[in-house]
Amino acid sequence: MKVNVKGHIRDLLAFKRLVPRRKKRIARAPAEPLGPDPVNQLARRLHPDRQHLIIAQTRDETRTTRTFKLVADPDSDADRLAYFRAGQYLSLNVAVDGVQITRPYSISSAPFEALGAGGFYEITVRRAQDGFLTPHMWDSWAVGTQIESSGPCGFFYHEPLRDTGQIVGLAGGSGITPFRSMAREITYGELDAHLLLIYGSSDEDDVVFYDEFKELEQTAPDKIQVVHVLSCAEVSLEGCEQGFITADVIEKYADVDNSSFFICGPQAMYKFVEEELAAFDLPARRIRREVFGELKNVTQSPGFPQQLADETFRLKVHIGGVTTQVPAKATETILVAMERANLAPPSQCRSGECGFCRSRLVSGDVYVSPESDGRRAADKQFGYIHPCSSYPITDLEISVPRER
Amino acid sequence: MADRTSLQQLHETYDCVVIGAGNGGLGAAAQLAAKGATVLLLEQHNLPGGFASSFVRGRFEFEAALHQFCDVGPPTAKGSVRTFLEDDLGVTLDWVEIPEAYRLILTDPGADLDVTMPYGIQDFVDAIAREVPGSRESVTKYVNLCQEVVEALEYLGQSKGNPDRSVLTKKYANFLKTCPYTMDEVADALRIPERARKILHAQWSYLGPPTSRLNFTVYGAMLYKFLITSAYIPRQRSHEFALALDARIRELGGDIAYNTRVEKILVKACPERSRGNGKVVGVVTSKGDQIQTGHVISNASPTLVYNDLISPRTHVPEIALRACNARVNGLSGFVVYMGLDASPEELGLNEYSYFVYANMDTDELYDSLKTLDAPKMQATLCLNNALPDCSPPGTSIVSITTLYRPEAWRDVRPQDYVKVKNRIANDLIAHLEQATGAPIREHIEELEVATPQTFARYTGSYQGVIYGYEPEPWDSLIPRLMSIQDDRHFDGLEFCGGYAFRCHGYSSSFKSGQTVALMTWKDLIEKGEIEQ
Repeated sequence: MKVNVKGHIRDLLAFKRLVPRRKKRIARAPAEPLGPDPVNQLARRLHPDRQHLIIAQTRDETRTTRTFKLVADPDSDADRLAYFRAGQYLSLNVAVDGVQITRPYSISSAPFEALGAGGFYEITVRRAQDGFLTPHMWDSWAVGTQIESSGPCGFFYHEPLRDTGQIVGLAGGSGITPFRSMAREITYGELDAHLLLIYGSSDEDDVVFYDEFKELEQTAPDKIQVVHVLSCAEVSLEGCEQGFITADVIEKYADVDNSSFFICGPQAMYKFVEEELAAFDLPARRIRREVFGELKNVTQSPGFPQQLADETFRLKVHIGGVTTQVPAKATETILVAMERANLAPPSQCRSGECGFCRSRLVSGDVYVSPESDGRRAADKQFGYIHPCSSYPITDLEISVPRER
Repeated sequence: MADRTSLQQLHETYDCVVIGAGNGGLGAAAQLAAKGATVLLLEQHNLPGGFASSFVRGRFEFEAALHQFCDVGPPTAKGSVRTFLEDDLGVTLDWVEIPEAYRLILTDPGADLDVTMPYGIQDFVDAIAREVPGSRESVTKYVNLCQEVVEALEYLGQSKGNPDRSVLTKKYANFLKTCPYTMDEVADALRIPERARKILHAQWSYLGPPTSRLNFTVYGAMLYKFLITSAYIPRQRSHEFALALDARIRELGGDIAYNTRVEKILVKACPERSRGNGKVVGVVTSKGDQIQTGHVISNASPTLVYNDLISPRTHVPEIALRACNARVNGLSGFVVYMGLDASPEELGLNEYSYFVYANMDTDELYDSLKTLDAPKMQATLCLNNALPDCSPPGTSIVSITTLYRPEAWRDVRPQDYVKVKNRIANDLIAHLEQATGAPIREHIEELEVATPQTFARYTGSYQGVIYGYEPEPWDSLIPRLMSIQDDRHFDGLEFCGGYAFRCHGYSSSFKSGQTVALMTWKDLIEKGEIEQ
């Protein structure tokens, strides 16, 4: 077989000229250095490794709930906040009594409010009486306090290509915060969706954003509707439901077959609400759940080795070139064990989902609850764990990546 | 057993530092470690793999970028990728063969082309002959030419850079003579009928430039290898591939540091080398590590290395910057990942790989990558048709991939980013539904969209580019190979990955790591820096 493209001799000559031609083309090109890279610039603006924030204002919403308004720290080099999608959270990186921990908080303000030079985020926090961080926040967070956070994270947002235009928010307690963000973005005109919020509270005094949602409803009556569900015996608020967020309550207000349900609240609420939703036999795509942090009681998770519940194991941690041995309780995550020893391991979602804390199990074995196992298949195969959702069931040795 | 990487204490000195744990960097680090060199692999992300990765949403685990690994081959007739992994490195993976070659659907009114192509030279030629009567002779000639290209490349590989010219001109004359030309020029010369050409050229988008600019050699080699060795993917996504190499590198005594970006490649003048600009003496990382080394293999592009990493900058020769500007930067990607709550049968998606193009005017298609309108082309996978168990029963994983000139994304503002990507994703889904009749939209349970920004975020590649420099005839595989000496501007600095001499693609970038590792090994021995 003989192939000629432009003639036998011409083709051979063309081959011979390949390298000289390449040299010439290179020699003729400008020697200018590389211009800016807007693609990487936008990637970093949307997903900064960390943001340096400062508290600009605090506001008490209820007797146990406080909103912290955060702006870009003028002393840092970042003049703008990362934009986000209504429903996303920030992972705050804070020191409590010298111990470095992270906590994820949904952003309660709207995305449009984060834009521009005066942009801000708000997080709204309920004080936990026996909490580790929240008493500290009440005591020492004030205007001017510097806070380090991640970029916006998480997947609890309305996705028009996937979800219907009708959001039904099923919220409990401080789980209302992502829905405040969505509602404000809807009334601002940037989020094209309707929101029916069915909001459970245990007490009238605990209802967060009552007045504000009333105003939002009045601003956009065709787009925002709130139903309060109160589980206390005495109720004085008008037009609210008494009891819990049951199938009956949901069916009374929601167009069940044409809605996308978004659930956010305390852990106990998920189980309850999901059992109620089961009555409607909805496809999985119609139900979105915000991750809820560490399991409150891992011993109730399927397959947890109950006989080990009282054990404490030895955890050998390699992090940042240093090796440390720390105690680790079977009922506490490996992440918490490391934080207790102030090893400052990386973490964000604290729910097994995001993989930010992904570490290599060098030896030993862990329990991972099936409901918070967000690992890749190959990670399981090659012995990687997410410390935020893994519990020790033997002595362990792990290698934790240093932070970026 | 705690290896060095788990202890995380880095040496002060290494025989070689590899920058980036993408396909090329993993291949290079593993090969050097297997030879016995001390090697440090540095990666800015917290995972190995670069684009070879996966991610979980809900009950689905998505493949980030891999469509098909070429040149793996069955265990009984190993391709070069399998040989490198199994025989040279001692890495075994759970490879799964992709059931058929591809389906090509053209959607413009009147385009009237919808073919599913088999593997195997004979079956492939038969299928085209059935579809385009009268094409058998020219297509056979084309495939034979592709075979000669592959054999010539194998000969070049065996001759280790010193081929016998008379062998080349006698045995591989057609290879030499088609080297300087584009796909279109070669197809014209062989008088391939228009319709047959559309089918033959379907996979052009895996390389990027339109067939009027894409070099025939690199395409012909890819097509032939694909037809004779078929294509494979690792069962647990390409993350399995990356983790297997990560584990093997550590087993072989190599060190790996993640979340660690290289900020400087330190160079020093070396007067003993007449035309040199200096030699590599070390690297500095974002974590403050100062590593001494005489050898760096970079999986990061020459564009980034010569513009941002070489220190002091004054040592960067003008010609290196000229080369970065002369070469055509490649394309970035855009992917819509979907977990659907319907099985492939319910959706009517029976193939693994779909090329859905408006037409086969590849210049027109390429032009559609220059604006933020939805491109008129997509390469779509239904993963379940290769891996039936990759998602729960009654569900499927479908991903739509298209490409962009990254400049198209230059002016996107943060507040418009989601709207832009959703509009494009929406149009791509509509195009897929139109082409296949599959009711995609009503079954979306999980959805994620990756843009050039996403690829930039996870790999730091310049402008989020996922392909290397475009393999036009003047800067394709062969001229790059023949220019390796000219392109080496510093002693001890080599490049692997999609920007390197083998051009891009999973197997090419991976194997390029092996080649430069062996070159580096040879250099270490010749300079007496290491004892064999």
